[in-house]
Amino acid sequence: MFCAAALFSIMPAVKYAAGGWYKVAHGACYTLKGEAFMKKIKKMFRYENVGMLFVLPAFVYMLVFVGYPIIRNIILSFQDVNAGNLVRGTKNFILFDNYLELFQDDVFRTSLFNTLRYTVMCLVFQFVIGFILALFFSKRFTLAKPVRGILLVPWMIPVTVTALMFKLLFATDIGVINYILRSLHLTGKNIEWLTTPGTAMFALVCANIWIGIPFNMILISTGLTTIPKELYESASIDGANRIQTFFSITLPLLKPTIESVLILGFIYTFKVYDLVYVMTSGGPVNSTHMLSTYSYKLSFEMFKYSKGSAVANVLLVILMIVGIFYIKATTAGEEE
Amino acid sequence: MKRKKVTALLAVMAMTATLITGCGSSADTQDTAETPQAAEEASDKESTEAAETSGGAEAVTIWYYWETEGHQVALDQVIQEYNASQDQYEVTAKYVPFADFKKQLSIGASADELPDIAILDSPDHASYVEMGIFEDLTGKFDVSSYYEGTVNSCTVDGKLYGVPFGVNCLALYYNEDMLEAAGCEVPTTWDELKETAKKLTGDNVTGLALCSVQNEEGTFNFVPWLWSTGATSYDIDNENGIRALTFIQGLIEEGVMSKECINWTQGDVMNQFISGNVAMMENGPWQIPTMQAEAPDLNWNVTLIPKDAEYSSVLGGENYAVINGRNVEGALDFLTYATSEEKVKFMMDKFGYISADKTIAENQFEADSPYQPFVEELNYAMPRGPLAEWPSVSDAISLAFNQVITGTATPEEAAAQAQSTIDGIVK
Repeated sequence: MFCAAALFSIMPAVKYAAGGWYKVAHGACYTLKGEAFMKKIKKMFRYENVGMLFVLPAFVYMLVFVGYPIIRNIILSFQDVNAGNLVRGTKNFILFDNYLELFQDDVFRTSLFNTLRYTVMCLVFQFVIGFILALFFSKRFTLAKPVRGILLVPWMIPVTVTALMFKLLFATDIGVINYILRSLHLTGKNIEWLTTPGTAMFALVCANIWIGIPFNMILISTGLTTIPKELYESASIDGANRIQTFFSITLPLLKPTIESVLILGFIYTFKVYDLVYVMTSGGPVNSTHMLSTYSYKLSFEMFKYSKGSAVANVLLVILMIVGIFYIKATTAGEEE
Repeated sequence: MKRKKVTALLAVMAMTATLITGCGSSADTQDTAETPQAAEEASDKESTEAAETSGGAEAVTIWYYWETEGHQVALDQVIQEYNASQDQYEVTAKYVPFADFKKQLSIGASADELPDIAILDSPDHASYVEMGIFEDLTGKFDVSSYYEGTVNSCTVDGKLYGVPFGVNCLALYYNEDMLEAAGCEVPTTWDELKETAKKLTGDNVTGLALCSVQNEEGTFNFVPWLWSTGATSYDIDNENGIRALTFIQGLIEEGVMSKECINWTQGDVMNQFISGNVAMMENGPWQIPTMQAEAPDLNWNVTLIPKDAEYSSVLGGENYAVINGRNVEGALDFLTYATSEEKVKFMMDKFGYISADKTIAENQFEADSPYQPFVEELNYAMPRGPLAEWPSVSDAISLAFNQVITGTATPEEAAAQAQSTIDGIVK
């Protein structure tokens, strides 16, 4: 599916290149006059045509390293590959059986729902908090810039390190969070964050919000700097208050940025793997499995390669749909 | 505008592609995420490998997953001695992290990039035999004096597909000082165990801990309790299976075992034990060298896992397997060398393992050695599987125990659910 998209997107380039070679062949066969031939060659190497050649390496790269695995994965998901026939024996095509079985599988349904729930919750909080911080740091005050820089740290720490840190923070008996809650008398006994299905998801969401805030903040900050100061000045002359300026100037002008931030955030959050793997490994009782972790478990722990790839493809299709929205959003702005 | 569209599409594709390529590349990068000493060894070996190609000796490669430094050094020493003893083969070993080992073998099998020898976890052996990557070793090694369970773990359809490396099983460790202070005897039955654990549980101490993570490691720790009732791995939904689940649930509900156990690996459990947070634990003999080094003043001892109907434990350990279609001759030559009595003794001592060879194991330790109870426990230890679909059965078992521990299902519900999953696998 992805490769089809790649082919489609690259079609003009292919046509151009093919046309060029046709011209060469044509020139070589039918024009014996060297002069005319040279002209055709020169024409072929005109600026726009050469530009298309530069696309070629990227195209080949995508085809080999992106297109091929994706197509293999799709084929694999229509087969019945397991430990018995991975290396030898026949791989039968069972078409949609893997997918049908998956949709009857409780763990798969939980992980699909979890992935969506997790993504939406993370996005909402990351975005709102990131936005507020971006607005705050767009004011000029002492140390605004260094502090904003320090806030980037969560984004730079490797996710596995963050995951281990949060695992300790949320630990039942030795965790700092329980210690604080107890000291404030908000809870009588320790909360079993990571060993109770509902709260384990909450802990994961908290960890990921912490990671994602800087990403949202920085992109929105950049967006804010592109809004001309004059607009705010004239608005204040016209007597607009802060809320009016925000909703009539800041938000509409930030629309393209906001769309990009949300869609990129969605993609980054939706394919979460390492955070969940380290913090809960999908537990307790499969309650925090995501599509990615469940796919890994099926493929590499239980030897159900075809089912695992079917899960990965569900993930892929959802991200494809989001990707199309992203392209729509980014190109719509330019066409206006 | 069109060009923008193309770039946007490419960008999105590249991002989504990390989904798939991300998986692939992590496999490569984790090779380098070795422990420092392993990395050092690897570079040493690379240099010897380079030297060896000019020498003309045939290469034999081994994959293993031991992260303990002592294990790596001991294996390396045997390899060095072997390489020095002859010049036909040059053996090199590569460390693959345990979490990645199965994945790497699977990927290697489909990409035809396998080692010549794999030293793998015994319950996975049958799955890879089913995959068809292991050489039939029937008649090539004398395993008649080996523990029956270990030989069974690498036997499929009456054919031998591996040689047991070493053997271990689980037993009950207890903190002698704590037991004495509470005036308790060493428990031998479930009722005694629960009573003792209750008495030992205090403000900062829980009576008992066992690794309860929801994977093979958890299953390994659960099955002794299941089997002790008379239930089997494939027959859980009956009064025996339910009794085992109810017992574990009771330990959690009465607070004598921490719910945190579902996030504790066997190593974590051992750390809790030597820190004095846990009075008794179920664990294996491979912890002994670390415990002796880290907590030399701690008074502890080992006993059989208390029984319900009968004593029971679970057999663990690694098997050697020879990959077919590669350097089989060289692999067999090295294995013959490494399984000789002298080499086995050397490695078992360094590893803190018990020899899979019964005749060696019985005289391996002094009578008062902490290893001795494990040798006794081995008489009651049974292997998991062997079954190609064992990982799925194991998943059902560890899920059932996790359900009762977290209180998301009653023992009856958990047993019924596990049974229906298992019936779908084993027909």
